[in-house]
Amino acid sequence: MNRTDALSQYLDLADENDALLNKDLRRTLWHIHNFGEAALGKIIANGWTPAQTTPPMCYPEALFGEDYGVNLARVPMPADVAASFRCGVPKLSSLLAIVANDAFTPTDALSANCPEGLTVTSLRSLEGELWRDAEEMMMDRADSPSPGAAINSLLLQDGVYIRTEAGTEVEKAVQVVNLFNSPVPLLTPRRVLVHAMPGSKVRVLLCDHSQTPSVAHCNIEVVDVWVEEDASVEIYDIEESSANTRRSWHLNVVQCAGSSLSVDTFFLAGGASQNNITVALAGPRAHTRLGGLAITSGSQQVDTQVQLYHRAPHCDSRQLFKSALFDTSRGGFGGCIVVDNGAVGTDAAQSNRNMLADPGTHMATAPQLEIYCDDVKCSHGATTGQLDERALFYMQTRGIPAEEARRMLTQAFMADVVDNISFEVLRQRMHVLVEKRLSGASASCDTCATACHGDTNPETVAE
Amino acid sequence: MNDDIEKNNAQKKSSEDNDTLSRATSGEYKYGFTSDIDTEIIPAGLSEDVIRLISQKKGEPEWLLDFRLKAFRHWQTLTPPTWAHLKIPEIDFQSISYYAAPKAKDRPKRLDEVDPALLDTFNRLGIPIEEQKALSGMAVDAVLDSVSVKTTHRERLAELGIIFCSFSEAVKEYPDLVRKYLGKVVGYRDNFYAALNSAVFSDGSFVYIPKGVRCPMELSTYFRINASGTGQFERTLIVADDDAYVSYLEGCTAPMRDENQLHAAIVEIIVEERAEVKYSTVQNWYAGDAQGRGGVYNFVTKRGLCRGDHSKLSWTQVETGSAITWKYPSCILAGDGAVGEFYSVAVTNNYQQADTGTKMVHIGSNTRSTIVSKGISAGHSENSYRGLVKVDKKAEGVRNYTQCDSLLLSDSCGAHTFPVIDVANASAVVEHEATTSKISEQQIFYCNQRGIPTEEAVALIVNGYAKEVMNKLPMEFAVEAQKLLAITLEGSVG
Repeated sequence: MNRTDALSQYLDLADENDALLNKDLRRTLWHIHNFGEAALGKIIANGWTPAQTTPPMCYPEALFGEDYGVNLARVPMPADVAASFRCGVPKLSSLLAIVANDAFTPTDALSANCPEGLTVTSLRSLEGELWRDAEEMMMDRADSPSPGAAINSLLLQDGVYIRTEAGTEVEKAVQVVNLFNSPVPLLTPRRVLVHAMPGSKVRVLLCDHSQTPSVAHCNIEVVDVWVEEDASVEIYDIEESSANTRRSWHLNVVQCAGSSLSVDTFFLAGGASQNNITVALAGPRAHTRLGGLAITSGSQQVDTQVQLYHRAPHCDSRQLFKSALFDTSRGGFGGCIVVDNGAVGTDAAQSNRNMLADPGTHMATAPQLEIYCDDVKCSHGATTGQLDERALFYMQTRGIPAEEARRMLTQAFMADVVDNISFEVLRQRMHVLVEKRLSGASASCDTCATACHGDTNPETVAE
Repeated sequence: MNDDIEKNNAQKKSSEDNDTLSRATSGEYKYGFTSDIDTEIIPAGLSEDVIRLISQKKGEPEWLLDFRLKAFRHWQTLTPPTWAHLKIPEIDFQSISYYAAPKAKDRPKRLDEVDPALLDTFNRLGIPIEEQKALSGMAVDAVLDSVSVKTTHRERLAELGIIFCSFSEAVKEYPDLVRKYLGKVVGYRDNFYAALNSAVFSDGSFVYIPKGVRCPMELSTYFRINASGTGQFERTLIVADDDAYVSYLEGCTAPMRDENQLHAAIVEIIVEERAEVKYSTVQNWYAGDAQGRGGVYNFVTKRGLCRGDHSKLSWTQVETGSAITWKYPSCILAGDGAVGEFYSVAVTNNYQQADTGTKMVHIGSNTRSTIVSKGISAGHSENSYRGLVKVDKKAEGVRNYTQCDSLLLSDSCGAHTFPVIDVANASAVVEHEATTSKISEQQIFYCNQRGIPTEEAVALIVNGYAKEVMNKLPMEFAVEAQKLLAITLEGSVG
């Protein structure tokens, strides 16, 4: 294999520092490592372009352009990031876990409030049956990881393992806050495993923040979710980091019979973000709802690729992805719904709507259907356009300044994605965050739902 | 013989009016026969020598030979494209004969001098030249295999300054025009099959509509693959000068063959200021038998350049034939206010595969495009829509509307949609919607209730489903298209 390419340095790094990588993880990830090697070879040959869909200009090609370090030796970071973090969600009492760079850091709030039947712990600390479960989940993905996921598997040292036992309904949201804090450019492989046992119910809130915004950061995160029979999982992902952050995010979900899944992703701030969502509806009568919202400005890039596999009969899925692009930002969307032969009674709908606010913006979208079964109802729709001039004019005749009218209409455009959030507290907060983001104020200010700085009341965490 | 067929057709027509989709898609290929005409075939294989031979046989000028050779050298560096959702068996390009022409007896001056077997071929297709000449006012440039055999209505068109002739004639008589426009829209570097066609194209049609002329009749060419084991490499070039209008019809039927036949055509259209071109196709080449044996491979590059401001290009296609279809009639909307349209019905059955769609490239400001694509899949077939709508950074006020629907008629077929929408200008409004479904049981139940058997009900519903596109076909073509689809327009009314 040609290892001259800059990308392969990570492979070399992993080989050279075999001893440093966590022994247990290393052993089980061995196959993944081999696969990672093959995948790296593929990246080297083809560049950072997945085989699928939208034009490659929307991918953060420069994902590995920066000379990132990897904290293989697990050197403690200069500041105790966990201590400096205060969750600022008023009235949101979550079960908080912090991932400082790539290290799982439990909080007191978590250990004090963790209900029976729920496990939220570090991947490194797993033993016995739980470890075997985690291992199985990771191995399941070894067959078809994307290049980013392969690098994640290669360098992974820690992660978050969340499990709900059969019949457990976790009332509070499990919040995993990914914090980046480093004086030097860093690549962090992060992994979250969510296993919802039959009949259980869990809500997971993932937030991405950078506490050292001026430092380049490459976040490669893999989230594996198994939703067992009749279980219900809600995933909320909020990206709100710095312009120097590049993210490659991979969400892989397998759904069993009668299960339901709801995923909402929000891009509020960041540099370049490439998101891959893969959902397999493996059991009958499962429900899936995917939602996404991206507000980009400056030179930000956001690309979302959704692969939805209807493999079992009588499942339904709904997708709604929207983006508003400002300045010279670029966006990409690729959504493929595959309906296997035998997945009768499938009802799938996908909608992608984009708004280009400024002349320098660029949006590429590719909504796709691949159908091998006749008894289905599938549809997709995509639009790219701008705000209705007449509505703007009307509002101005009523004395609303043009800028204000524009902001209000954009907010209205985004509203239905936010309205789809079933987690009420978050829904309310997201409305505020979107408004703030559109009005130009930083969404990461003290009062935001996911603030990682500031003087907000620490007691709310323990509430 | 002729009259019998006419009678038969007339009798059939009334019953066909209520025909079903299944009959259209599962019926034996009724145009499957081979006419015995002396054909001159050069040995199989492709090399520079073969290209020189083709060029020499056609008495071509030096520049055209150079064009062919350049294309051939480029083609040698290419590999067949694999990105389409198609399973294409490996094609041995060296086992194909690249030139077949009816033997050059004395060239017929009048219709009755034309080889009777040849005329009979057309008659059996249900397209008697005489009748069309007399009744429909259409000029027919009938292409049998590769050489233009008979051209009618030339004089009438010539009065208006319209040039409508075979490509080889155009090369001889209007070399400057051909040279000016050849390869300007589809260059020989465009893709694998375009390069192949540019190297070996045998004949085709050339149309030039001068400034301000509205072509008084529908121009039509019937393509027909006739000789066994010969690929057909047509090349059509249509130029509509400022303020001109032309409607061009292309219809295809091919005889039944066990061996796969390759067809790699190029259609280039240039539309100047305020001119309009309407290009309609009914394609019913042999699709292979029910087990997927045989059938034509149809790999076509069709593209139009709307160069002038306020020019318009409209593609309408009804695709029912071919074992494999790889075809994307496209519009490059370069002039301000140019309009591109694409209306398509694609039916696949048995083991047919179709990957078809369009590209709308918006370069000029205030350009508009409409795409309506209807796919109908039955049997074990695979039917894909693949499209691109691209809005250039400098194109202000662009508008696009795309609708692609798929209808599934069996549980083992596939219907796929692969659109890409790339917008780099914030003033554009681009809409895309697609649906896939099977025929609603409620609708069929309703029809059954009213005494309409299920088969007829299916035809009725499919008819309504495809109507939007069928309505875009010129009247002259609608009848044949209906036959091919086994859909009746009358049946659906009321």
